[in-house]
Amino acid sequence: MISPGRDTPIRMAALEEHPLFFESGDRPCFGVHHAAPPAPEGVVVVHVHGLGVEQIALYREEVLSARAVAAAGHPVFRHHARGHGDSAGDFSAVTVSTLVEDARAAADCARRRTGAARVIWLGVRFGAIVAALAAGGRTDTAGFLFWEPVSRPMDFFRAQLRGMLFSNVAGGKKPDATVDQLFERITRDGSVDVHGYLLHGALVESARDVSLDSALAAAAPAPVRLIQVQQRARLAPAHAALVESLTARGVSVTTALISSEPGYQLMSNPAWESPELRASTVEAAVALA
Amino acid sequence: MPWRESPAELARARAEIPVVFDSPTGRLVGIYTPAAPDAPPAGTCAILLTRPRSHRNRMWVEGARRLAAQGFSAFRFDYHGDGDSQGVSGFHNPNQPDREDVVSALRFVRERFGDRRFLTLGMCFDARTALSVFADEPEAVRGMVFFAAPLMELDTLVKAHADQKDWKHMLRALTNRENWTSLGDPERWRYMGTVLGRVLRRGSRANGEAPNDTPLADTFVEHFRALVRSRARALFVYGDTDAEYVSFQVAQRTVFARLTPEERARFEVEVWPGDVHAFLNVPLQRRALERALEWFGSFHPDAKTHEGAKH
Repeated sequence: MISPGRDTPIRMAALEEHPLFFESGDRPCFGVHHAAPPAPEGVVVVHVHGLGVEQIALYREEVLSARAVAAAGHPVFRHHARGHGDSAGDFSAVTVSTLVEDARAAADCARRRTGAARVIWLGVRFGAIVAALAAGGRTDTAGFLFWEPVSRPMDFFRAQLRGMLFSNVAGGKKPDATVDQLFERITRDGSVDVHGYLLHGALVESARDVSLDSALAAAAPAPVRLIQVQQRARLAPAHAALVESLTARGVSVTTALISSEPGYQLMSNPAWESPELRASTVEAAVALA
Repeated sequence: MPWRESPAELARARAEIPVVFDSPTGRLVGIYTPAAPDAPPAGTCAILLTRPRSHRNRMWVEGARRLAAQGFSAFRFDYHGDGDSQGVSGFHNPNQPDREDVVSALRFVRERFGDRRFLTLGMCFDARTALSVFADEPEAVRGMVFFAAPLMELDTLVKAHADQKDWKHMLRALTNRENWTSLGDPERWRYMGTVLGRVLRRGSRANGEAPNDTPLADTFVEHFRALVRSRARALFVYGDTDAEYVSFQVAQRTVFARLTPEERARFEVEVWPGDVHAFLNVPLQRRALERALEWFGSFHPDAKTHEGAKH
């Protein structure tokens, strides 16, 4: 539900954007409603952001894409999960379950505010898995739109740790552990510092048996648009495998390749933007609607 | 230890008010955290600067809610072109701080929420933006925490040879942009500090006082002078391996060295071992946040030893 009295911020007249707080679980979560002309039978696009530093590294492009989709006629709702951004909650308490609960609460809030009947889930990186899990048990999913989705969380965490070790080497520091030893450290100590963010054992354990493919298989069938965002001319093996699996199950899948790539684990100056990704997102949202 | 949200901080989260306000650069989005009604009022609002507004690891979100639980109010917002705000994104040059945005934010908070006294906090570009407020609102800001910002123009630091340098030579070299791209290397900054210090000493003797007779950026000198004219206190924190520290050492030899004892007494300088800039590991983040909040705490009227309350 929306917190009484706090769902009425000053309207951003020119943009028709409404920053607000809503409840998820036992905590207030921050969200922004990007308004579009009323369409009671229409869709609302619900963003599900990436994990940890990726939430802020891709923040600006999420905002710009949301504005572009709203300008194309479809309302958008973005939120900060608990333990992220302006929402309440501890990052150390974030698990796949809390992320899914927050995404569902965001979708419910979005539908209440817009009157939309259906939801397009826009999952960014780890948020793709969260979005697919959040769609499970719901009958209002119009489609999925993924930005460089994480297919398997454990591969994602392993890549994060490997990247940190590479970074140490580049900085002239000899790594004091292997990736496997870092995973052991997470189990033993509860967390490891990855570029100024703690990778917590609770999150790792909660994601151990999850995959994007299995999460989509458990959700009601809906078309998928996969947008690869990396400097690669062809679909990456993990994405290609997902497309093959979905196609075999009869799911409609389309793909797009964006060769511009942010430093997913880095804050850039200025913030990363991609007009190509934005245009592809608008085109996909319109098609899925 | 990472942040564990307390019940009092959760209560402050529930009280937060998202707002939209106007700046000459566009409509900006911010979040105001009201002081806890059951805490002794500090009568002061802390403006926490960065982009996007939560900061790495939500440091400023934690800071706002902890301060509010102690009786301060707090405000964090997105500059134009960042986060949820309007405007066109661009490279954040520390020597061109988002002064209009932060001054607009301060004035909005004053008008909308009634705060009259302010503190500011930032790192690098955000520190320079925090400093810039003094040019427009010298009486409103009582204190500033300034973490690890470069104080020279990025395109005035050049590859040069110290013993042969004079200002003309330096200026010629400055036109070559390739020279300062190498300044991502801390050794290069140290070297340039040496070079510029020597040039400065010669230049000062030869030329006497000028509007800005230092190798420091004009905007830094302008805003630092505004800080000096104000009655505010400030805490400057650098890491001894920060590339930016060399430029601060030049400031210590120049603008700081010219302060009267009374003026100098208002400014604290801390140099920590290692890097401070960018807050790239959790222990440093914790240390920086704890120090800033502790220092801000001295401005609370109920603080036992609070130089800040005197001002």
